[in-house]
Amino acid sequence: MVESVCMDCHRLVAGQECPVCGTTNLSNDWSGLLVIVDPEKSEIAKKIGVTIPDKYALKVR
Amino acid sequence: MSEDSAIFVIKTTANQERSVAGMLAKVAKKDNLDIRALLAPDELKGYVLAESSNSGEVEQAIQTVPHARAVVKGQSSMEEIMHFLTPKPTVTGITEGAIIEVTSGPFKGEKARVKRVDEGHEEITVELFDAVVPIPITIRGDTVRILRKEEE
Repeated sequence: MVESVCMDCHRLVAGQECPVCGTTNLSNDWSGLLVIVDPEKSEIAKKIGVTIPDKYALKVR
Repeated sequence: MSEDSAIFVIKTTANQERSVAGMLAKVAKKDNLDIRALLAPDELKGYVLAESSNSGEVEQAIQTVPHARAVVKGQSSMEEIMHFLTPKPTVTGITEGAIIEVTSGPFKGEKARVKRVDEGHEEITVELFDAVVPIPITIRGDTVRILRKEEE
């Protein structure tokens, strides 16, 4: 299944709406996957300002 | 309490980077392993980057994951992977007046001159050389190859 990505928070979304932002502004054109498992310890999560463990896209068009 | 993060590189089967990253995250959560983040940039074919405190945890995680082949010896630093987190726009390096070749789509193989570069939308407007009448067409910045930087 092709997952879409929320244009606002870059989160991978399975449905028609982003569960966090509540927006329907989604895109199928994205590249690069980032999975945050432990946002409290992760340096990467801190760098990009993510606090919720989830899958994110690095780039969304 | 948290130990310093290091980046470990996992070799995977080509085109399975995303599925490996997803499965490793699930395994890490289930087995309570200290894997903090996983990164699968498109530029890095056949590899997944894992942020963890030691390679043992990563080694343990890949054992049950199909398509994850091995952990590359040694470790990388945060600085070295920072550029993956902020991807450059695909139109970087393309200037107005440059000669490009279209690499995909209906105009594949056609040569053209760049008329306009739209950094925000990552699109460029070009005029094909072989067209009888010069019609500007707008194409994606990642579907072209630069042949010559700029024409005087």
